[in-house]
Amino acid sequence: MFMHITVTEAIVLRHVDYGEADRIVTFLTAAGDVWKGFARHARSSRKRFGASLEPYSRVRVHWRPGRGDLASLQQVELLALRDGLRRELLSLTLAGYGCELAMEIVGEGGHQPGMFAWLDAFLDHLAAGGDPASARLLLELHFLQLAGYIPHLLHCSECFGRLGDPVAFSAARGGSLCDACASGRGEVTVGLATLGSLSRCLRGRPEQIGEIRLGATTLQETRPLLETALDSVLHRPLKSKKILEELLRNDRERT
Amino acid sequence: MLDSIPSFTRLVAELAKFPGVGRKTAARLAYFVLRQPEADADALAEAIREVKKNIRFCSVCFHLTEDDPCPLCTDPGRDERVICVVEQPQDLLAIERTHSFRGRYHVLHGALSPLDGIGPEQIRVAELLARLKSGQVEELLVATNFSVEGDATALYLAGLVKPLGVRITRLAHGIPTGSDLEFVDDATVFRAVEGRREL
Ligand SMILES: [Zn+2]
Ligand SMILES: [Zn+2]
Repeated sequence: MFMHITVTEAIVLRHVDYGEADRIVTFLTAAGDVWKGFARHARSSRKRFGASLEPYSRVRVHWRPGRGDLASLQQVELLALRDGLRRELLSLTLAGYGCELAMEIVGEGGHQPGMFAWLDAFLDHLAAGGDPASARLLLELHFLQLAGYIPHLLHCSECFGRLGDPVAFSAARGGSLCDACASGRGEVTVGLATLGSLSRCLRGRPEQIGEIRLGATTLQETRPLLETALDSVLHRPLKSKKILEELLRNDRERT
Repeated sequence: MLDSIPSFTRLVAELAKFPGVGRKTAARLAYFVLRQPEADADALAEAIREVKKNIRFCSVCFHLTEDDPCPLCTDPGRDERVICVVEQPQDLLAIERTHSFRGRYHVLHGALSPLDGIGPEQIRVAELLARLKSGQVEELLVATNFSVEGDATALYLAGLVKPLGVRITRLAHGIPTGSDLEFVDDATVFRAVEGRREL
């Protein structure tokens, strides 16, 4: 039976070994779909797939429907290996974090247009040795926005009133809270200027990821805010986040 | 038919736990055992029991061994000053087959893999560090895989080891011996060019 081969551009999010010789690969496609493909003999022979199934690379996948939910991978062309990621442990770990975040937010079989462009720009940026901290924040912020979870930043999320400074922020209650609405429980405190920076960041495009460099205060104040917002979107704690945090902690202790 | 015989079903179930073995293959293997002479089947059962009873991890290098420390760690002909780090015992065996390395080994039993939640604490890094701090070691040869996980592990070890004043090296990667350039994949050619050396 003749089966049509489809060609899709995608990012390799991860792969797991299957049996003696095969591999199951998870992709985020340019259209924003997360799906898995089956690469027969990917481990035992380098002829067909070579290094093109390495995580974090951008590839062109030739595939056709396979058994069950798995696409059958016919050929995978390597478009960008992003070898530069392998020069810095932090870049490599952050790349994994970005991919796991995309995988969790979109979900297997899910669809989230726009995410590909951000993840792609993020990985290119890290591979080129760009600033990891600002890029991480931008990725998280835009992933949240694409997932429809972006909190109210510059007005009170409950009464739409004016905000004081600093601002109480609660992801559970929808974002920033004015002095009258704030309860003092389960809230994090953020400066109004930081919220302004975040709001400007949200207007940025993926290709600008390398141009935006946020100050230490913005990065520091934003962390707890983003953590609570991400926690409300994710169904489980990310495995890569624990290791990423360990790494950042060790770096801080060393300096 | 055979499915209804409890002891046969039990063997199939046990064999199906092996990696890469599905129920069909397990049933074929079980049928093979069934037709084997009793002595052969006994030998198989005995071999499995012996492996579990006698083989453990070497307390120095964490390779599989029947004697602790293992012969590789006690061989006086091997160079104490160089330790080669590998992910798995199979990797150690691959290097030993080439007779290209005469130092000691250290088996990590894994590699850093953030997406699997495998950090430094989940592999034998602390034990390696203790060996390096003993002061005898001058060079650490990192022979982890050339995968994202293997490279991450190499970077992590480099950060850990450099302050100790130990030289750290990585296996060269490049074009497989005997192969024509035009048939080698792009990524391998790319990294071979990057890793070129003086002639
Ligand atoms: Zn309010
Ligand atoms: Zn040993």
